[in-house]
Amino acid sequence: MRRVLAGLCLSTCLCAGLFFARRTSADDIAERAHQLHFSSIVLDTHADTPQRMLTGTFDLGNRDGEGHIDIPRMREGGLNAQFFSIFITGRTLGPPAIQQALDLVRQNVQQHGKDLALATTAEEIRRAHAQGKIAILMGIEGGHMIGNDIRMVRIYRQLGVRYMTLAHFYNDEWADSSTDKPAHNGLTDFGKNVVREMNRQGMLVDISHVSDKTFYDALEISKVPLIASHSSVRAISNHPRNMSDDMIRALTAKGGVIQINYERNYLSEEYRTALAAVAGDVSRMEEKFKKECGDDNVCIGKAEIKLEKELTDAGKLPHVSWEKIIEHIDHVVKLVGPDHVGLGSDFDGADMPDGLQDCSKLPKITEALLRKGYSEEDIRKILGGNILRVMAESERMSKELQSAP
Amino acid sequence: MVRAILWAGACVATGVLLAGAMKADGVSERARKLHFSSIVVDTHDDTTQRFLDGKFDLGVRSSSGSIDIPRMREGGLGAIFFSIWMPSKITGPEAVDRALIQIDAVREQVRKHSKDLVLATTAAEIRDAHKQGKIAALLGVEGGHMINSDLGVLRSFAALGVRYMTLTHSGNDEWADSSTDKAVHNGLTDFGKDVIREMNRLGVMVDISHVSDKTFYDALETSKAPLIASHSSCRAICDAPRNMTDQMMKDLAGKGGVVQINYHVGFLSQEFRDAEKTNPELNKAISAEVMKRCADNEGCQLIEGDRLTREYVEQGNLPRVEFSKIIEHIDHAMKVAGIDHVGLGSDFDGANMPYGMEDATKIPKITEALLQKGYSEGDVKKILGENTLRVMTEVERVSRELNAGK
Repeated sequence: MRRVLAGLCLSTCLCAGLFFARRTSADDIAERAHQLHFSSIVLDTHADTPQRMLTGTFDLGNRDGEGHIDIPRMREGGLNAQFFSIFITGRTLGPPAIQQALDLVRQNVQQHGKDLALATTAEEIRRAHAQGKIAILMGIEGGHMIGNDIRMVRIYRQLGVRYMTLAHFYNDEWADSSTDKPAHNGLTDFGKNVVREMNRQGMLVDISHVSDKTFYDALEISKVPLIASHSSVRAISNHPRNMSDDMIRALTAKGGVIQINYERNYLSEEYRTALAAVAGDVSRMEEKFKKECGDDNVCIGKAEIKLEKELTDAGKLPHVSWEKIIEHIDHVVKLVGPDHVGLGSDFDGADMPDGLQDCSKLPKITEALLRKGYSEEDIRKILGGNILRVMAESERMSKELQSAP
Repeated sequence: MVRAILWAGACVATGVLLAGAMKADGVSERARKLHFSSIVVDTHDDTTQRFLDGKFDLGVRSSSGSIDIPRMREGGLGAIFFSIWMPSKITGPEAVDRALIQIDAVREQVRKHSKDLVLATTAAEIRDAHKQGKIAALLGVEGGHMINSDLGVLRSFAALGVRYMTLTHSGNDEWADSSTDKAVHNGLTDFGKDVIREMNRLGVMVDISHVSDKTFYDALETSKAPLIASHSSCRAICDAPRNMTDQMMKDLAGKGGVVQINYHVGFLSQEFRDAEKTNPELNKAISAEVMKRCADNEGCQLIEGDRLTREYVEQGNLPRVEFSKIIEHIDHAMKVAGIDHVGLGSDFDGANMPYGMEDATKIPKITEALLQKGYSEGDVKKILGENTLRVMTEVERVSRELNAGK
């Protein structure tokens, strides 16, 4: 209901502003946006919802007062393809624990087989879409989860994992993170072999979180376009987790895609500087919450949201509008064209901007892009077409590499 | 494959002239023709252990062990279950980890030799492989200890292509009693029964080799799909707890299952078993020598164990067991359980092979021996593989049905 009212308000404001100067009225645009959004494959490459599954009480089928993703809200927001990211902290738990988390996602999908379908290829996403189902995919967020064993790349791929982020907030033993002190000068030799094996297996190489040097190393090694599953633009918010214009150019010159992250800290420079002033950098905050919560990532997430809300209410942190997302998308499009940007919300793992509280609000992105004058074709690319293209390319290259002697 | 086709061609040509003539290997043209046109399925093979050192290459004819691609081709072996195995004492996350690594090792061998091998998980895929002239490789997990009491691990194994799981190995696991350990669960625990149900749903065959008699009966009662005994022989001939009694085989068959005869001399021959029992020092000496040669390399242990046992036999310290004992077990199982309920589960590369069945090249002799015994060609085909394929198809049907009912 609120969504409809918000839409109406926006339409009337714009109508008044334009005085019908254009041939298409604002109401036509809203209608077109709705039509376009709900007929597109809307593919989000990063959500941390598995953390909520790990609590054992979460049910994807119920509309939830907390968090950003569940089936009712995905339906409402036209979100029909979602990568669930698997993140397990401990090195010690190793592959058996990851295997368990993957099974948990698969079980959740199976429980809701009427709404969800597990997908691992571009073709399977299209098939799910044609059946009116939401495609669920899996990514692994952090190379530490292979336990320094390249065989696990193959095992995880076989278990349905389609991308791996090379590092998380900390360096792993073969790749430097953007939020840790460099220890390897990018990728180690083993790290490069991991990338090669990922290419062979059709596992997308995700360079979100990694250091700039790791990114350039991966770019050089990989035979398949890279993805940044949830990263934003450093020219707008100067955070090491975001990508510089040079990096974006280099990524896209090799066919890759940057999937914009909705985290306030990555969207807004004003917010970032204010947050840095009050709480230090992200890794320091993580340390603090880790002490409080141990390995309970849902607890850490809640602590982050609570702290940030308190700080925002106290006026120490600025409000960040969802329109910042559009600014980031538009920056990339102006820089490299419409073929290299997509959506990587970080739902259930980040603090959302005002106006995009959860996935039900996604149609606003389509409408805003349409109002900005983007063509329907370009919007479809941003919503999902671009990442589908990279997936298909990775699948093609995997076949080619596997058939090589 | 080229070689097989040439052979077949030569057979047809000479067969006309020399009707019933026999090659030096003792396999008649008729048997050869039947054997090489049949799908020969072996449900248990331990070669996986040899993959783990990273040196063994399945594509190269090896002078040790029983299995490699050239010898499988020569013996007309069309489908083989590679066993994922580690001793019962390895449990918990370590067991899961090691199982995943072994699964990967098998999958990699298949990938490296994709001209000869193809990974199969269904009966239809085995038949497809056969049509393409490829050997179907399948995966079986030998021991429930590897799932770490977690149905999620079982599901992951299934997703990775595992097509059967033996409920225990030599020791009990947390939810099932083994035939060679002291009973602690009185068969299957409640969780163990849940494991069976989940296996049924996933289409993973329930393998009752190694388990205690009570575990077998519990599994038989719980399972909605036929069971297999992937590598067990007849207790009426050789009184080992690992073998099945006549009654067990009848009950297994009554629910559509198959016993796949194990070629291990200690399970084939009472005489051999008695000799081992009366000379426990021999086994100790073999074990000590194996450890000396192999340390903790399990692939080496299995191969050297077989080699050393053979040496003791040559020296006259253990009785010589002929491959014809396999036929005796097949024939007994056939008479007790029926022609539709017997198959082959060699235990190659994991056991001590009888004389005349040293490796996969010798398998056509089984076909020859069964024909000589008067078995019809159709019946021989059933034993060679069709019975196992039938069970697989039925397990797949039950799985579909259970999933549809969800």
